Formats: sequence, C-alpha cells, structure tokens
Amino acid sequence: MPEALINLMGQVAWPLALAVAWLAGELGHRWLALPRISSYGIAGFLLAAGQAGVLPEVRGGAMALLANVAFGLILFELGYRINLAWLRANPWLGLTSVVESACTFYAVFVVAQALGVPILPALLLSALAMSTSPAAVLRVVNEARSSGQVTERTLHLSAFNCVLALVVFKAVVGYEVLSSAGSVFQAVWNSLVVVLVSAGIGALFGVAVPGLLRLLGGLARNATVVFALAVLMLTALTDALKFSPLLAALAFGLVARHRRVVLSQVQRNFGALGDLLTVLLFVFVGATLDWRQAQAGIGLALAVVVVRLMAKTLATTLFARLSGITWRKGALTGLALTPLSAFAILLLEQSRHLKLDLLEEVAGVMAIALLLEVVGPLLTRWALVWAGETQRKEEG
Amino acid sequence: MPLEPFKSAQALTMGVELELQLVNPTDFDLSSSATDMLHLLGRGRFPGDVKPEMTESMIEVSTDVHTRHDALLAQLWQMRDALVAAGDRLNVGLCGGGTHPFQRWFHQRIFSKPRFKEISSLYGYLAKQFTVFGQHVHIGCGSADEALHLLHALNRYLPHFIALSASSPFFQGVDTLFDSARLNSVFAFPLSGRAPFLLKWEEFEHGYFAKMEKTGVVKSMKDFYWDIRPKPEYGTIELRVCDTPLTVERAAALACYLQALCRMLLERSDPPPAEDDYLVYNYNRFQACRFGLDGMLVHPQTNASLPLREDILATLRRLEPHAAALDSRAALDELYRVAAGEGNHASFLRRQHAEEGGVEGVVDAAIRCFREEVTA
Repeated sequence: MPEALINLMGQVAWPLALAVAWLAGELGHRWLALPRISSYGIAGFLLAAGQAGVLPEVRGGAMALLANVAFGLILFELGYRINLAWLRANPWLGLTSVVESACTFYAVFVVAQALGVPILPALLLSALAMSTSPAAVLRVVNEARSSGQVTERTLHLSAFNCVLALVVFKAVVGYEVLSSAGSVFQAVWNSLVVVLVSAGIGALFGVAVPGLLRLLGGLARNATVVFALAVLMLTALTDALKFSPLLAALAFGLVARHRRVVLSQVQRNFGALGDLLTVLLFVFVGATLDWRQAQAGIGLALAVVVVRLMAKTLATTLFARLSGITWRKGALTGLALTPLSAFAILLLEQSRHLKLDLLEEVAGVMAIALLLEVVGPLLTRWALVWAGETQRKEEG
Repeated sequence: MPLEPFKSAQALTMGVELELQLVNPTDFDLSSSATDMLHLLGRGRFPGDVKPEMTESMIEVSTDVHTRHDALLAQLWQMRDALVAAGDRLNVGLCGGGTHPFQRWFHQRIFSKPRFKEISSLYGYLAKQFTVFGQHVHIGCGSADEALHLLHALNRYLPHFIALSASSPFFQGVDTLFDSARLNSVFAFPLSGRAPFLLKWEEFEHGYFAKMEKTGVVKSMKDFYWDIRPKPEYGTIELRVCDTPLTVERAAALACYLQALCRMLLERSDPPPAEDDYLVYNYNRFQACRFGLDGMLVHPQTNASLPLREDILATLRRLEPHAAALDSRAALDELYRVAAGEGNHASFLRRQHAEEGGVEGVVDAAIRCFREEVTA
C-alpha cells in the first residue's frame, strides 16, 4: 500500500508542482508585487529533487521537451516583435547591442579568470552571460502591459544578445570539440553548421506557415493555433536532429513577422496555452538547479551578476542620447536586461548530447541562475515602472 | 476667471491642429510613446508646434498662422517629415484617422500633466474613451461679433466637414457603420454640441459665459467641447468636428474649404443665421456621421431634403471665385474629387479592411498614407 502511494505521488508530482507554482505566482503577485515567473522559478527550485525532493530528477525526457516547446513559443513571439527595419533607421541601436554584448563577454571573462575559473568554462560562462532571458523579459512586459522605448529596446536587445550569445557559445563548444576530439568536421558541425541550419529551418517555417495561412484564408481565427502547432513541430524536429530549437524558433518568428501576417492582441502569450506552458517552463528551469552546487559558486555568481549589470547598463547608457532617448531611459534599459536564467539553462540542457555535462561544469551558472531567478524579473519590472511605461495602478 | 477680451486677428487667416496616433509597427496597436516622441522632437527644431494630448498614445501638432494654401501645405509637409523621421528612430508609426480601429480604451495611459489628470478624474472612463483623433481648424476674425456671426452662419455647412473628413469607421475592433464614429465619443461629454445662439459678444460674455462660470461648471472656454467654439485669446473661431484625415494634403484642403466658406459668409449673401436653424442641426450632423457623403440633409430654412453630396458639390461651385481670390483652387479641387467620386477616407479604410481582411491591415494602410504622398 505505501508503495502504491509513493508510486501515485511520483505520477502526480509534476501536475502538483505546477499547481503549487501557479498559486505561488498569484499570491506573490498580489501580496509582494513579484512578477509571477519569479515565484514559479522559486517553487520549482524548492520542490526539486535536490531540495524538497517532490519532483523527480528532471534531466532530459518529456518535461525537457515540453519546456523547450514553451520556450519556443516565447522565442517565436519575441522574434515576431523584432523590427529589423528599426536597425536600418537607427544604427545606434545595433551598435548598442554589439557593444553591450561584447562588454558583458569581456567583463565576465576577466572576472571569471581573476577568480580562478579555467579558460574554457570561463569562456562558456561569458558567452551565456551575454544573453538576457527573453522569456523573463517578454512575460514581464506582457504582464505589466508596458509600452515605450525601454520596453521596445529591452525586447530588441534581448533578442539580439541571445543570438550573439548562442553563436559565441557554439563557437566555444566547437573549439572545445576540436581541442578534445581533434576532429575539425565535428567542431565545425557543432558550431557553424548547427547555427546556420537551425536558423535556416526556422526561416523556412517562417516562409511556409504564413503562406499556408494565406492559402487557407480566414487567418484571424486560426493564426494562434497554427503558429503554436508549427512551433511544436519545429521544436520536436530540431531537438531530434540535435540542432538548436531556440535559434530556430526565434528565426521562425522573425521571418514570419517580416512576411506580415499580423498577430492580433488576443494572441499575446499564446493565450491560456502560453500561460500554462510558462508555468511549466519556469518550474522546470528552477528544478534543474541544485542548492549544493549553487552554494559552491555563490561568490563567483555575485561578482558576475554585478559586472554584467554594470557592463550592460554602461553600454545602453553610453548610446542613449545618440539613439534618441534620455540618459535615464538608457540606464533603465540596461537594468531591464538583467534576467538570465531560462535561456542559459536551456542552452546548457540542450548541449547534453555532447557528453560534456556543461550544466555542472560551467562554474557558477547554477548560482547565477538562482540569484537572478527572483531578482532578474523584478529588476526588469522596476525598470519599466521607473520609466513610466507600465499601466499605473490608480488608473487601471 | 472672467473671459479674456476677444483679440482681433487678421480676417481669414488660418491655422491647423492635428491629433495623431502613435502606433506600434509590430501589432499595430496604439503605443504609449508620446513622452519619448516629445523628448526626441524637443531636441531639434520642430517646424511648428508639438504638444502632448490626453493619453500617451496621442500627439498634437499645430501650424503657424497662414493665409495661403501652398504655404500651409508646405509647413504641414515639413512637420510630417520631422514626425516620421523621429518615429523611425524610435520604432513608432504615425498615422491619421479619427479613431484607432481596435485599441481598447482601458489600456490607454493618461499623459502625466495636471490638466489631463484632472479631466481624467472628473470624467473617468470617458477621458480614456476620448482616445480619438481630430483636426481643428482656426479661422481668424476681425472682431468678436464677426466671430459669432461666422460661428452660427456655419451651422448649415457643418455636416460638409464631417462627411469630407470622416476617417473613423472602425472602433474597438468592429465596423461601426458610421463614417465618423469619433464624434460619438465627443457627444458623450456634457458640454459638447453647439454654442448658444448669441450673436453679440457682449451677450455671450456677460449673458452666458459669466453665468456658466458662476455655476462652477466651467472655468474657461477650454471646458466647452462645442463643434465650433470661439477662441478669444487667438481672435479665432475653431472648427472641431473634423476627423484627422489620413494625409496632410487633405488636412490642408479642409482648412482652405473653411477659409473660402468664411470669405463667402462674410459677404452676408446667405440669409442671416437664426435660432431655428438649429432645429435640424443634430439630425443633419447625425446623417453626416453615419452615412458620410451619402447622408441626406434637411435645409434649415427651406426644410427641403437634399443629398449631402450634392450640397457639397454645389457649395464648391459657389466658392470658386473665393478660391480664386484666396489662391486655393488646388485645395478645393481635391475636395471636389472626394465628393464627386473618390469618396472620403472612411470608405478608403473600409476598402483596405475588405482587401487585407483585418483591422490591423487598416492601420498599416493608414501609416503608409501618412508617410507617403499616396492618393487615398
């Protein structure tokens, strides 16, 4: 009988965790004005195998795929909101992005080296630190219904620095494969080819799906489900082929937008489906973190978080006036770029097939992710509020 | 605060104010970007005047005082180009149109300025629903009594301006079947509608305004949302019924139509305005809002029923000598084409909706109209 009970507990662990996380999200939002995703992540972390032990070990498997789908939907939506013509009209924005990413990479690398991290993990860590978690940024933006320059720039810079981070990360992995396995083919395959093919498949979807919608007609009603199904398929396909679902989904959104089939308001976040998968995504990401490992890297993590924030804020502030906004809004954009967790964790998770257990190897990532799980979305939210770009309560 | 004295202005001068939409080019919803736009525009020299409006997704521009169509249009072009350039730098689309076709009024943010906050707390949701976009035209008047004469003599022509400028068929996501749905939002305000029938400034000042002020309902002329209202500090009357057209060319044409009409009315060849003219006023106004150029008017003096389109075409012909004198033939020609066949911007937007299959396509078309010199 007890055995059956334990079995049953194992079966319902995930749904239970999701329900608990959702509840925590609502209460945290109401009482502490926390962004919901912060609470989801913390709930996932506390319930994980390494902590309370409610959830089973999460590496790989169906949950990882679902989390990737959830993230794929978010990246698709982000890609859809990116206006490449803006880069042409305002080149300072592109420059901000490159400088912001480069400064972060350099600063984090210097700090990691100074704290005695070996060169390869230091490089991977620096690459990951460049990225801003699009999931956190987009969810916070949608939750606060913010609009304005800090909002727009945070979304665009997040998309750009994720692509840059991914390319640099893959390049470092390629270099690692080259030096350990000595195979040039494998090295090129794991970096250049993966990046190009992933983006290519995504772009292909971006052309095909809007085309299909146009053929079907009546797209206003069907678009959400069609895009969601396409993201599901894209994620499963790229995951199975060991390409990058993240890059593919982003490319899909970007190309679909520039093929101009308009998403209507209702479809933000992919509606209730998106909400549910977001709970799952952040619980999953939280559950990959292990307290003992995080504890070990806490010193490094604090240092990295601080220099990363400084590097990003410095770059966005530096180009603020030139790109047409106030110094203040420039600085707030840098602040809003703080979140990191989901993107970095999933990227590491997806590199598991390389037989390098990067999640454990890249020192400090766990601790950084844990630190930023709550703080990141909160800082984004504050930045948007301070910029006056959110709906103010008294008028809501 | 008593009403300030009516400042005499050069007769038949004109000035144009346009309330414009700030739109996110991704989802085509309104974008709360007024603060960012004003910051950027404030850094350079804007060829005109630019101001915030009630909500963060609106911006208001106004021209200098003009006497000629070509000069007015030239300034409007310069202003348009400056706005578009700033919008491009900030990823903000600009467009005309009396309403945004699918924005949700409860998502709008009130611009942070004491007067707007005050209005917002008084009128509540009406203030946010007031996220509509109009063109205002000022005409200079030599004296206060002349202003009141013009204000009331224009009552019969008011539907012309509604029908010619109408560009707000869609509101809150649906086709309202009105050509100008915007005016329905304006009517919701208690102090909207027509000015009281007083032809002497003396009487208006002491017999009406002073009494209204004593009731505490109003503090200044700004609190009246009339279709046409006197603006003593400029020495003008201000026509407020036009939707913001999709192009600045149309905005200039409408201003010159009013200028020519006032020139004709100052000759006083029409029968003088009378209180009873207003018996059919609201009905005619409704016809113009609802059916646009296809509306039917009731003539206030003869009580004859006549198609609005015919009335506009006949008026345009009567104005020919005045347009020649004012050198604004090009402006009136544009309106002639609109009334005779092309149709107003509301019908253009409906065609876009049918072709693009959605309200987002409507905004996309409006943005293109504003930035390019396409014929809408």
